[in-house]
Amino acid sequence: MKKVIMGNHAVSYGVRASEAKVISAYPITPQTHVVELLSEMCASGEIDAKFIKVESEHSAMAACVGASAAGSRAFTATSSQGLLLMHEMLHWAVGARLPIVLANINRAVGPPWSIWTDQNDSLSQRDVGWLQFYCESNQETQDTIPQAFKIAETLQMPVMIVMDAFFLSHTYEIVDIIEKEQVREFLPPYKPQIKLDVDDQHSFGNLAGPDYYMELRYMIQLAMQDALGLIEKVDKEFGDLFGRRYGLIDPYRCDDAEYIFVTSGTVASTTRKVIDDLRDEGIKAGSLKIRVFRPFPFEAVLDVLSKAKKVAVIDRNISFGSHGIFYQEIKSALYGRTDIPIIGFIAGLGGRDITPKVVREIADKTIDGTANERYINWIGVKI
Amino acid sequence: MVRKIEFKSYKEMPIRPMTVGSMLWNLTGSWRNVRPLYDFKTSPCILGCPTNENIQRYIWLVTEQRYEEAWRTIIETNPMPAVTGRVCFHPCMSKCTRGDYDESVNINAIERSLGDMGLDHPEWMESVAASKKKKIAIVGSGPAGLSCAFYLARLGYPVTLFERDETLGGVLRWGIPEYRLPGAVLDRVSAAITGAGPIEVRTGVNVGVDIGLAELMKTYDAIFLGLGLMRSRALGVEGEDKGGIEPGLEFLRRVNGGQKVESGGKVVVVGGGNTAMDVARCALRSGSDVTVVYRRTRHEMPAIAEEIEEAEHEGVKFQFLAAPKQLVRGGKKLTAVVFQKMELGEPDESGRRRPVPIEGETFELEVDRLYTAIGEQADLAGIEGNVETEWNLILAQNGTGATSDPKIFAGGDVVTGAASVVEAIAAGRKAAERIGRMLAGEPEPETAEPVTVGIEDMNLDYFTHSKQNQVPRIGSEAAVKGFDEIKTGYAPEHLAAEAQRCFSCGVCNYCDNCWIYCPDVAIKRLEEEYEFDYDYCKGCLVCVYECPRNAISVREEGK
Repeated sequence: MKKVIMGNHAVSYGVRASEAKVISAYPITPQTHVVELLSEMCASGEIDAKFIKVESEHSAMAACVGASAAGSRAFTATSSQGLLLMHEMLHWAVGARLPIVLANINRAVGPPWSIWTDQNDSLSQRDVGWLQFYCESNQETQDTIPQAFKIAETLQMPVMIVMDAFFLSHTYEIVDIIEKEQVREFLPPYKPQIKLDVDDQHSFGNLAGPDYYMELRYMIQLAMQDALGLIEKVDKEFGDLFGRRYGLIDPYRCDDAEYIFVTSGTVASTTRKVIDDLRDEGIKAGSLKIRVFRPFPFEAVLDVLSKAKKVAVIDRNISFGSHGIFYQEIKSALYGRTDIPIIGFIAGLGGRDITPKVVREIADKTIDGTANERYINWIGVKI
Repeated sequence: MVRKIEFKSYKEMPIRPMTVGSMLWNLTGSWRNVRPLYDFKTSPCILGCPTNENIQRYIWLVTEQRYEEAWRTIIETNPMPAVTGRVCFHPCMSKCTRGDYDESVNINAIERSLGDMGLDHPEWMESVAASKKKKIAIVGSGPAGLSCAFYLARLGYPVTLFERDETLGGVLRWGIPEYRLPGAVLDRVSAAITGAGPIEVRTGVNVGVDIGLAELMKTYDAIFLGLGLMRSRALGVEGEDKGGIEPGLEFLRRVNGGQKVESGGKVVVVGGGNTAMDVARCALRSGSDVTVVYRRTRHEMPAIAEEIEEAEHEGVKFQFLAAPKQLVRGGKKLTAVVFQKMELGEPDESGRRRPVPIEGETFELEVDRLYTAIGEQADLAGIEGNVETEWNLILAQNGTGATSDPKIFAGGDVVTGAASVVEAIAAGRKAAERIGRMLAGEPEPETAEPVTVGIEDMNLDYFTHSKQNQVPRIGSEAAVKGFDEIKTGYAPEHLAAEAQRCFSCGVCNYCDNCWIYCPDVAIKRLEEEYEFDYDYCKGCLVCVYECPRNAISVREEGK
């Protein structure tokens, strides 16, 4: 059934279809609608889940950790400062190998106080070990939730689904709503092999000396490596059932492209429009959306970009003192290809709009060579 | 056997950080440099008790409602808790740690409750059959004689108990008034004791007069002399044998024997000990106006403080710092006594300040009858010459009762001079134990100096303040109208509440604190016992600090 819904509600519908058993969250703009609708669904019985009210995001994740350890499918959603407050528990979820799914609505971090979008909140969690999916549309967001649970539970790793505040969270689009009856075939009930069980006693999260800590970390990395193949496999299974596929990355008109623009989130859609304009002008341009940021799909990215003359990366984030964070990954993927200049652009921080005009400015600077190829190019800053 | 699991590859490990085996192989006790150990001390009350009743234990048993075991615990060292629970001067309570905190535990009242329970449960006192050949004669059935007879009989020795009166009890019978120790209670106590083993009772036999000590020596393998002090000391005032003056003990004997005694008139009792209090209060109950005259002050009175207070409440008057000097008679009848006023001088050998006459200062009191209670003496007729004596007392070794004759033992007031019931009981028991060892040819046991504790050793965080439960008693007005027992004894709820007040100093009472607090779960909780698991005890000593009663000690490892 198709419905016109906001991005936040797309998350809620995805969780409903996935039949999460425990939902624990603390409200924060712009995430609030996600859990507001889920709490209503819990109240009405539309979803058979325990909704745990908490006093902070740290507790919300802690509740999910407990629920997941006890063998329940657990979900939470947050944003910005809330995600940062969860930080310690995010590490816990990974270390304890708990398949929790979290939806983060990208919101700029204060101060200065901001409720608008950029990616620094989720990218600050780059190294904790959560898988990260950056979604572009409400449909993709909804569809990624059951995929995330399937991947999480297979790998015993937590997964974060990320979407832009307002540009997606509060924007209404047509979404083909998936129902739990259909999804069950794709995502059966969670049956962990190990869980908290009074009849099978173990100490969890216990001390591991230097003899074994590295092995446990090694296994997390192995899971991340396995994830790339699994994500594609799950994407295909989902596609076979529902007719929609998303991939690790989404290249657009890249086959013969001389200039490829790397994007993520809603900027991907805007950029495709500009690519079409450039193509109309006879310029061989293409775009590459990075959907899966962790694990980073180096091979797939290299495969697409290796034929380009120039690569530009549009980052709605910054690693202060270095570069845009996606830029660093692309540079890493193209290591050794000194023949391909990689140009980094910082744009749209704190919710500043990245319009087709802004993307066009980036394209022009890339193509005409006026952009700095050695360091950051800020777009739209009042200098 | 639990052993350490070694993973050769990450593939053998669970992906989650979790235990897959036991850590019991890791004997963390090896980290320890000091070790705690259960090391029970001797509670101060037990050391305060002349017969070393295991007070801590029987009070704990009361808290567990295990009354028969509690009673048995007392009986191990005192065969008559129903008596001592009434008349003991309870030095245990002066040593009670709780007394340094708020008010001492009313041990005496708890003992009485258990003693009375024992009387109500005669089946608790199963009789012991004679198992030994050698026989012992006990002379005197006061507390020392009864105690000695009881403990020898419990060892299986046939005992013959000689008593010159027709009934048993000695000073308990004749020296202690009915309102403190009812005759009916004493009857049950003496019956229980003599029924507890092979004890032959021969009353109306005055050893030394009716039968010579030398003759007993032929028949018996050992003799215990518990003669007591049955004669009042004379005043030493001219004309005291001319009427109107009677030894206090004689008066008490008449009262306790149910004989008619004089009533009305003005009575003076001379003396400051327990006999003086008993005489004064009996005279009061006979309808007389009673004044106690004592040559020192109240502070030096040897009587139990409680007895003095009760006497005062009942209406006995006190005249301190005075001694009789001259008797005044109208014809033959005593009409008045002139008293010499005294003052306190330097302390004498007893540590009390010596009374010194104030030159020329006297006063006169109207007196119809005067009772003397300035001390009692032994009657050693027929005994002297058989054992060494001194100051009209038998010379006997403290703690064993051994005299100059290896077959003769002695204990109680006839050895110590006027002392207490409980000291006589202790002397009788210790002599019985010594006689038993002697007859069996056993060596003397080695005894170690007991280690005790004080309030500074307690963890007072675990105690709350509470008042002592007083023993219910009939009012003074009712009391003086007759000889009814004054103290009526605890109700069950008093007993339970009072027993709960005990700190159980130095001795575990299974409060579980150590077991609860041990961070290494290295304490095992067994039936009425805990055990350290030294394989895992790291010696943090939390148990030592959290033990409210210092029942755990610390030893350095390797020492």
